[in-house]
Amino acid sequence: MVATREPAVVDRTTTLETLLQTPAGKRMMTCIQCGTCGGTCPYGDTMDFSPRLVINMLRGGFMDEVIKSESLLQCVACYACMAKCPRGIRLTDVLLPLVKEQVLVTHTPMPAEFQKSLENMNRYGNPMGESPRKRAAWTATAGVKIPIMAELKREVDVLWFVECYTSFYARGQDNSRATARLFNALGVDFAILGNEEKCAGECGQLTWESGLFESLAEYNMKVFNKYKFRRLVTGDAHAYNAFHFRYPMFGLTQPAEHTTQFLARHLDRLKPMLKKPLDLTVTYHDACCLGRATGSYDEGRALLQAIPGVKLVEMVHNRVNSLCCGGGGGGMWLDTYYKQKGMDRLSDRRVKEAIATGADVLAVACPYEISRFEDALKVVPHTKPIVVRDVVELLAESLA
Amino acid sequence: MKPIVPKKHEPVRIGYYICHCGTNIAAMVDVEAVAKYVATLPNVAVSRHYKYMCSDPGQELIQQDIREHRLNRIVVEACSPLLHEHTFRKATEAAGLNPFYCQMVNTREHNSWVHTDRAEATRKAMALAHAAIERVPHHKSLEVKKVPINPDVLIVGGGIAGIHAALTLANAGKMVYLVEREPTIGGHMAKFDKTYPTLDCAMCVLSPKMAAVGSHPNIHLWTYSEVAKVDGYVGNFQVTVRRKPRYIVEDLCTGCQECVAACVFKEPKFPDEFNLGLGKRKPVFLPFAQAIPPIVMIDPEVCLNFKRGKNPDGTHTVSDKCKKTCVQACGDRKAIDFKQTEETKNITVGTIVMATGFKIFDARRTPFFGYGIYPNVYNALEVERLINASGPTEGEIVLRNGQRPKKVAIVHCVGSRDENTNRWCSRVCCLYSLKLAHLIKEHTDAEVYNFYIDMRTPGKGMEEFYNRVAEEGMHLIRGKVADVYPDPNDGATGRVVVQAEDTLTNKILKIPVDMVVLSVGLEPHPEADNLRRLFNLSCSSEGWFLERHVKLAPVSTFTDGIFLAGCCQGPKDIPDSVAQAGAAAAEAMALIDKGHIEQEPNTAYILADECSGCKSCIPLCPYSAISFDESRQKAIINEALCKGCGTCVAACPSGSIVQNLFEDDEIFSEIEGLLAPVPA
Ligand SMILES: Cc1cc2nc3c(=O)[nH]c(=O)nc-3n(C[C@H](O)[C@H](O)[C@H](O)COP(=O)(O)OP(=O)(O)OC[C@H]3O[C@@H](n4cnc5c(N)ncnc54)[C@H](O)[C@@H]3O)c2cc1C
Ligand code: SF4
Ligand code: SF4
Repeated sequence: MVATREPAVVDRTTTLETLLQTPAGKRMMTCIQCGTCGGTCPYGDTMDFSPRLVINMLRGGFMDEVIKSESLLQCVACYACMAKCPRGIRLTDVLLPLVKEQVLVTHTPMPAEFQKSLENMNRYGNPMGESPRKRAAWTATAGVKIPIMAELKREVDVLWFVECYTSFYARGQDNSRATARLFNALGVDFAILGNEEKCAGECGQLTWESGLFESLAEYNMKVFNKYKFRRLVTGDAHAYNAFHFRYPMFGLTQPAEHTTQFLARHLDRLKPMLKKPLDLTVTYHDACCLGRATGSYDEGRALLQAIPGVKLVEMVHNRVNSLCCGGGGGGMWLDTYYKQKGMDRLSDRRVKEAIATGADVLAVACPYEISRFEDALKVVPHTKPIVVRDVVELLAESLA
Repeated sequence: MKPIVPKKHEPVRIGYYICHCGTNIAAMVDVEAVAKYVATLPNVAVSRHYKYMCSDPGQELIQQDIREHRLNRIVVEACSPLLHEHTFRKATEAAGLNPFYCQMVNTREHNSWVHTDRAEATRKAMALAHAAIERVPHHKSLEVKKVPINPDVLIVGGGIAGIHAALTLANAGKMVYLVEREPTIGGHMAKFDKTYPTLDCAMCVLSPKMAAVGSHPNIHLWTYSEVAKVDGYVGNFQVTVRRKPRYIVEDLCTGCQECVAACVFKEPKFPDEFNLGLGKRKPVFLPFAQAIPPIVMIDPEVCLNFKRGKNPDGTHTVSDKCKKTCVQACGDRKAIDFKQTEETKNITVGTIVMATGFKIFDARRTPFFGYGIYPNVYNALEVERLINASGPTEGEIVLRNGQRPKKVAIVHCVGSRDENTNRWCSRVCCLYSLKLAHLIKEHTDAEVYNFYIDMRTPGKGMEEFYNRVAEEGMHLIRGKVADVYPDPNDGATGRVVVQAEDTLTNKILKIPVDMVVLSVGLEPHPEADNLRRLFNLSCSSEGWFLERHVKLAPVSTFTDGIFLAGCCQGPKDIPDSVAQAGAAAAEAMALIDKGHIEQEPNTAYILADECSGCKSCIPLCPYSAISFDESRQKAIINEALCKGCGTCVAACPSGSIVQNLFEDDEIFSEIEGLLAPVPA
């Protein structure tokens, strides 16, 4: 099947000018202009420059024209183009972010909502501008004890990187509380960073706000280096992506796992604890950063199927062909901009497919999706009720 | 002329020649300096450089020197021995010297072509020359042995390539064994309706050839059979063939099909393999109307007279539960035999032609085209069957719901040119896609959309064919399909949307169609690797059988006496498959008609006095050339089987195996020469 990308080191200093001399750039020279990328892109029909065309403009030396257009701001970093490209060209994580960064530099002002989020990330370490000192406040409601690295003062097996939405947003905290219960039930030796943690900066990377991403990554690495832990686990698919692909360039040596991957590895022990039947028909949305980015399609599904009473159904677009929720690559903070441009919301498109399955639950594995799909369900008409739940929430509910 | 054998103690007199090879060698090696240097080495009587040693005057030079300077050893420093060792040995022999007194040094492939520093390359040429000058005095006079060749030929695979090779050889009077795995010959071509570029009816040209194979006195046709074992070597291969039971006595069945009509199953009920499951057949059936051999077979998996399921050894047990109306219908012909078992045939042949063809790409591996998910997505071979008058719909192109499609999308390059599946271009898909576009339009008058990446139509008449189809009003869209999904505006007709970027208009197209045809690529059989081992062949990294030389020996393999024909060597169309089959037959005939195989004398032999009888060498020999003489308690090497690989020589713990042309003193002197200092 479609190749999953190994964490490969892309030179941090690469620019659009030097790209074609790098190994990733040499691959771009092999592009056969088949248009699979443009044809699969969820916003392909509104882009002035499809990914395919960007490559040919790059090879022809016409990048100025591409950057003059705002077209590439529509890239939601969903990996669809890259996963299907017959030449294995690194569009989503190498070429397109480089172009996007230039577009953002050229087009001032940036879309306001987007600008604000980047500023918040820079100033507060989270895109919503919440107080960093309240980052660990949710732990009071966790129901189980959440050890904090700075207090624990010893090596742990799992450093759990909680991330922003899951720390501050009520629906995100549901995810964190569920994860805490699951870790507790499994007897995982874990701790979190608490208020020391800052946004992993993944979207900074995929929008290639490279300065911002680097400062966040360097900050987090400094904190990591203070402590001893054997693996990094996070429930945020975007943060996982950053740890998997990018942080190794900043010196991260421990393996990173997404909670679904971690829990699926312990399914033998977890399954007997899932005693409470849920009697739900569930459809699973593949998060781009888990599925196409790293080939992790099965873990979320295996966990859901381990819950007694859960019947799994698939949407029309699934696995490698999944449809993006539209939150990646900065899309999370570009909704207003997209609306102004008359583009439809990808989360609306996606929930239509979920509704069509007749499922009771749209299960997700990325905190962005909770809010995006819940918003979409408010506007997309449906008769049978359907709710959005993270996989971990369902698992925790099934714990006896 | 009887070769001159230098008398013992006669002084060694070497003639040395370095070739310029135009500028191939001379541009990187100072040939004059090398010749001057070699003249100073011991035993060298003549040392020369010359523009083209392989030319007639070059060879003449060697012969003249042998006579005039009484040379008894020759060293030629030139290109690869693969190309010209034969030439220079012959020249040496022509002057009356044993050809094995000639040694070649490869200074082109091993030196001038791969280096960029002329001074260093010149020094390397000197060192290589010195090595040969030290080695050649130890050479002995050797004799080329001739072994007779068995004139019979085995052909594996009865597609168009195997059929053509079989007929060519059989018409030339050779006895041919044609082994085909399926119950009928014909291969893929038998499934097509028409063939590009001429649009002639496939079976009209194929069926006479199939029938000729079936009735040819020189062809033993064994269908529903597989090669189980191959031993021996060129000229003398021992082959074991397994003939699977079809529960019909081949010689007694007349192909009348009265049994089929009489079967207790009134209607055909089981998926029909020849029609890729698009049609149905009974438990007793003729594979297809023009099958060769034209005899029926019984499928024990579904026939009521057998117990359900296979036994662990793969056989089936008779249940005797059926009324056997078929047997009654067959009557006195007595062709039905429920007790038939697998039969093993042992044959000896001198040469083998591999013609096992290809397999189509399984489109399920690229799930976003919807194959196996949406019923109206077909692969191209299925559509060939739908168009075919003898197919499941008698040539009506209809969807599974019986409706005629009004809009059809043909998706090129499915499982080709793609690093996620197969990297190669399958060569025939663009053209067969155009053919299918034409045929679909002709049969249904549908709107046809061909989505292609690059339209590849090389070959005689092919571009003209492309032009003709384009003129008929096809939509030719340059862009690969990226997604296929159910049409949201469709009720229940199963219409799907095909989404692609039209790369020439920069537009994303979302075209609702009734039918999608996936132009699947060609790939090697999954069992090709087993065949490779069975026949001791090599495969390319993709799994196609590897030819000996891509340009100069395109149908030969690295195993002498085994030749390749058709798509088992790589994707190609019918004209090329047939051309290759003819070439393979000619190569086999060239060997057979010579009557004997010449054996390189670089074989190993055992010094009987020194052999301790430990038998370590016996299991190591890849050619099973070593046996054990129980009475004398010594190992012996069969010269006719030995290929000179040297494995046993290195393994013998008592050092009692010697290999001609690779004797210890030859090798050690060569190393000494190589390591000797050369002038700066
Ligand atoms: C959809 C489609 C349409 C095409 N249309 C055209 C066209 O219009 N014109 C054209 O020129 N070309 C066309 N081609 C190409 C054409 O099919 C090939 O060129 C041709 O079939 C090659 O013949 P072959 O004998 O090498 O292989 P095959 O046709 O594959 O025959 C190989 C035979 O070997 C047998 N075999 C395999 N393994 C074994 C084994 N282990 N032991 C014994 N027997 C074995 C198989 O059962 C088969 O009978 C088309 C191909 C496809 C897929
Ligand atoms: S999918 Fe890959 S090869 Fe095709 S046009 Fe896009 S980048 Fe080029
Ligand atoms: S990553 Fe997704 S949104 Fe971006 S160009 Fe590729 S397919 Fe389009």
